[in-house]
Amino acid sequence: MKMTPLVLILGGLIVIAPVLLMNVITPWVTGLDEPPSDIFRTRTPIEEQGRDIYVNNGCTYCHTQYIRDFDWDIGSQRISKAGDYIAEIPHLLGTERTGPDLSQEGGEHPDDWHMAHFVNPRFVRPDSVMPSWEFLGKERLLALIAYKQSLGFKQADGRVERQKYWKAEAIGAFEAGPDKNVEWLHGHVPEPWTKLPDPYMTSVPGLERGHRVYQSFCIGCHGPIGDGMGPAQPFLYPPPLNFTILQNRGISGGILYYQIMNGITGTAMPYFKKDLESEKIWDVGNYIAVTFIGESDAGQPTRGIAVSYEPVEGPK
Amino acid sequence: MQLLKVEENGTAKLFFLSSAFWFVLGTLEGIIDATDMVIPDLFGGIPWLVFSRVRPMHTTTMIFGFVGSALLGASIYIIPAVSRTPLWNERVGKVSLWIWNISIAVGLITLDLGYSQGREYAEWIWPADIGILLAFGLIFLNCIQTAVRRNEKVMYVSSWYILAGLVYTWIIYFFGNAVWNPSKGAIYGLPDGILAWFYGHGVVGLFLTPLAVAISYYIVPRVARSPLYSHTLSLVGFWSILVIYTHIGTHHILQTPVPTWLKVLAISGSIAMIIPVMTVLVNLWLTMRGRLGLFHQDIGGKFVMAGLVWYILTCIQGPVQALPIVQRMTHLNNWVIAHSHMGVFGFSGTIALGGLYYILPRITGRPIYSTRLADVQYWLLLLGMAGFFGVLTAGGLVQGNSWLNGETVYRTLPMIHVYFSLRAAFGVLFVGAAFIGLYNVIRSIAGEPRQREIQTEKATGQTQ
Repeated sequence: MKMTPLVLILGGLIVIAPVLLMNVITPWVTGLDEPPSDIFRTRTPIEEQGRDIYVNNGCTYCHTQYIRDFDWDIGSQRISKAGDYIAEIPHLLGTERTGPDLSQEGGEHPDDWHMAHFVNPRFVRPDSVMPSWEFLGKERLLALIAYKQSLGFKQADGRVERQKYWKAEAIGAFEAGPDKNVEWLHGHVPEPWTKLPDPYMTSVPGLERGHRVYQSFCIGCHGPIGDGMGPAQPFLYPPPLNFTILQNRGISGGILYYQIMNGITGTAMPYFKKDLESEKIWDVGNYIAVTFIGESDAGQPTRGIAVSYEPVEGPK
Repeated sequence: MQLLKVEENGTAKLFFLSSAFWFVLGTLEGIIDATDMVIPDLFGGIPWLVFSRVRPMHTTTMIFGFVGSALLGASIYIIPAVSRTPLWNERVGKVSLWIWNISIAVGLITLDLGYSQGREYAEWIWPADIGILLAFGLIFLNCIQTAVRRNEKVMYVSSWYILAGLVYTWIIYFFGNAVWNPSKGAIYGLPDGILAWFYGHGVVGLFLTPLAVAISYYIVPRVARSPLYSHTLSLVGFWSILVIYTHIGTHHILQTPVPTWLKVLAISGSIAMIIPVMTVLVNLWLTMRGRLGLFHQDIGGKFVMAGLVWYILTCIQGPVQALPIVQRMTHLNNWVIAHSHMGVFGFSGTIALGGLYYILPRITGRPIYSTRLADVQYWLLLLGMAGFFGVLTAGGLVQGNSWLNGETVYRTLPMIHVYFSLRAAFGVLFVGAAFIGLYNVIRSIAGEPRQREIQTEKATGQTQ
């Protein structure tokens, strides 16, 4: 084959024409017919403004916006569909997950949690490597938060409404004083949990593990001495709980476990059941009970058959 | 006008100088980002040092600024060389050079100020896109005019790759940046993801790869002092890369709800990439069979040889990680970052440097300032790249395994902290190498070579 400039250029164009047709034109044209998915809605102007900030500042390099059928982290209750994306310009699918996927982020947290998180992510998530976005200024951060709360469209709207409803309730309880507040908090824990003691024994290694979990998950809001005065506190209302007020107010290992597991929707307290497995939750709960509340029910003799690794007491 | 001065091979020379400069900037951006991942509060929230603004600056500086400039410089030298005729128009060359550099600068500065179009490697704002397209157009015009006026009957394989690479890059850049939509630079919905990755992979596959292959085809037979092994293999490699490489961008978004037929096309194409890669490598390696010692003696040849080794590693890994079952483990984590560094830096970047060190002395008419420094740079880069690849692959596997087994993304951050720290440490080697390179290139262009080295070379019979 003799190669001349003409053969090269013409041949090249002949090759790329069908490629463009298959890889660009066809998906483009057929993509326009995609029906909107069940959750789709259009975005409000402030949400669009927030999306522009997201695009311009490169949030997409660490956060994807699609859920795969084998994902476990936040948003994994719904696998993404093609119809979710019809209004995306540019696309924000992303290629890396240094941070979590955000396609169902809306309503995961209340607005005040987001504000603390944007000012410095380590205020609420101590192990985070996300940059601080305080320099964007309050107005742009509010737009960005509006956009994040819209992620997940109609499903997000439902979650955001739920956050708002329970925030009002939680504020009411907080403003009614410690007695009422603790009563309200405990009152929403289902009964089997309120009576359930911590099934593990209190042990020095267990408290050490609980301490470590506390530092990675709790310290930003509840503070190093458990008084609710962590660096995120100025941003949050109702403020983070001061653990000492739980003393002599009917706390149990089960209540601590339940609240850590499920969080308190409406407040900045997130659920940790995706981050932490059972023993870690018991450990951090007992760390809080022993260190800050001074009241632990760990290892009471109401348990069933002892776990095989626990120290042997008596003939059993 | 001094900036547009007409001198023989002046355009190629300044492209090399630009490349050395952008290399320094690009590695500095890289080390800032690597540091951000280890100590996120170190820069105290300075807007223009924020990770996510600097990251697109780093990728585009490296692709277009460092590797791109050196490849274009080499191309603008090689086309006249294999055509046995001077470059068609040096003044047009200089104009294209300045449009190229100014566009890159505009793209980078605006990114740093927080103006981005948000799609990987297509982040630059519209005016920068237009400048890049204009520069590519002028360079193509220059090259094709030179090739048409050639005094050599046969068009050598390097010029096929250069000319086709320039045409394809122009088309892919035009569509990929959606330049008909200046404000967004994108189209709607999932088709935008497909288009963006048609571009994102195409810019590697049809800009960096063909030009790097062109340099290899030029330098390998010359350093080996041996004719090219096979014309037929060259033809197969050339046409198959054009057919196959253009199809595979969708393998970046296999796990999204894009149409299945497109995924099938992308996966089968990715596996078929073995064909163009192996034909090129077999052709070049059989050309240098039994002559590896000559590559050891020639600093340019040495870089090209190392680049070709990275090429085969990248292109074995690439098809494997395009398989969906593999992607369950490797996608979205640092495994891919390791791969992309091996492709853009290890393969095309190293060959670009090989082109620079081989061609620059032939432009200036004297040896490079210091082969010793170039050698130091070579080893720093080889060590840095190998270490970088190792730690990021390891970190990626930790992430991928953890996610598959139910850990959240947040939980994996402490697990990869050590890999991020090591990555930053290896990054220091890159920064050092880039500074050494810039110094060496400036001294090579501006001044006389170091006397002592010339004497040593004369004594040992090694001449450039």
